[in-house]
Amino acid sequence: MQTPRKDFTTVTLVLIPVAIAINIAVGQLIYTLKIPLYLDSIGTVLVGVLAGPWAGALTGLLSNLIWGLSGLNPTYAPFAAAAAAIGLLAGLFAESGWLRAWWKVVLAGLITGLVAAVISAPIAAYVFGGVTGAGTDVVVAIFRSFGFGVLPSSFAQGVSSDPLDKAVSFFIVWMIVRALPMRFLARFPRAGSVK
Amino acid sequence: MTEALGLYVPGESRVHQLHPLTKLTFVGFILLGGLALPGIWTTYALLFLVVAPLAWLGRVLRELVAATWRVALPFAISVFLIQGFLWPNGTPFLGSGVISLKREGLVFAVTSTGRILTVVSSFLWFAFTTRPDALMAALAQRGVPASLTYILLATLQIVPRFRARAAAIIDAQRARGLETGGSLLRRAQGVLPLVVPLILSSLIDVEERALAIEARAFNHPGLKTSLIEIEQAAWEPAARWAAILGAIGFLLLRLWFSLNR
Repeated sequence: MQTPRKDFTTVTLVLIPVAIAINIAVGQLIYTLKIPLYLDSIGTVLVGVLAGPWAGALTGLLSNLIWGLSGLNPTYAPFAAAAAAIGLLAGLFAESGWLRAWWKVVLAGLITGLVAAVISAPIAAYVFGGVTGAGTDVVVAIFRSFGFGVLPSSFAQGVSSDPLDKAVSFFIVWMIVRALPMRFLARFPRAGSVK
Repeated sequence: MTEALGLYVPGESRVHQLHPLTKLTFVGFILLGGLALPGIWTTYALLFLVVAPLAWLGRVLRELVAATWRVALPFAISVFLIQGFLWPNGTPFLGSGVISLKREGLVFAVTSTGRILTVVSSFLWFAFTTRPDALMAALAQRGVPASLTYILLATLQIVPRFRARAAAIIDAQRARGLETGGSLLRRAQGVLPLVVPLILSSLIDVEERALAIEARAFNHPGLKTSLIEIEQAAWEPAARWAAILGAIGFLLLRLWFSLNR
């Protein structure tokens, strides 16, 4: 891993708020389309890919804290650690050259989703009683009725939604980065890891 | 800031006049109390004895109750239905056989709902009574790097603009025949034509913004002054320390209870 300080150029600092706004705006767009995905970490993944794992982690962390402190979605704030992990992993996968072939992109997204589910499950179980208040709670209900504990059921809920969600997010980011002109990409500290 | 993200309710109350960091430490105190203290009803005691009076002092009690209700209700319903009724091998409390409310599940659901209410209401109380730019100015005065406060403030300003842009893109694509209703497959096909233009158009701004803030001495290392002066009452630093010590006390109490069980 390179030194984090080099990644925080002015362009990175400007990209981060735009990325957080992308998280919020796309998340709400998907919500209005009533599609069973969240897609609320596209911006976080984008920063991880273009500006490295540390900038990605910071984007995820701040994203969820702003979601909480602005009152827009207070239930997101406790999951800030999971969001930071998503940005961190996106950066690490890009660094190791996983963002050059589409199937590796999808695989990286699936793994990231799995890690996010592992981190989120104890938070959901402890703070929110293991439920999300959304449709995926059916999974929690099924696992509970089979006699599984609160934590495993909450983890099962995460596995049922997070890996697919992150795979789609990674894929969208990959498509977008490939569509961007090299002249633009060259401004970012980690542009080399994509093209 | 004319239009910004957030739920801030303008007001002149004593809570509005508190230093943002004082309110932030109060949120931390409530969160740690709600999440760390043992017992089923402790969170509810905290809600009635701390959060509600604070909201009443800030003249936002009605807004807070309404917003907390809206956010927490789906969680509460889910947790009561799933954990209350489907608690494996629980003692039936109401009803009989498979369709019965279990005593253990009910206790768990009541405890969880208390925690959910604590988290949601404390964040909302902060959002209702704190101007986002005042929080940033206060953080900057405490030596938080300008880059970090820039990120937070810029986000709050960009989000409303992005929402407007998202609405415009939806309208434009609909005008070109994109269907945003119908079956799940139909709606899923709409994701890319909506998301990709939104992200690409927002990235175009990045370069321009970077040049703009660099031209305004963003990277200049010297001392910068703020347009907003954040004032605080003489007792506030003491109140902050009390809240921090109280929060540490909650953690120690929790530890003590866990060890003596």
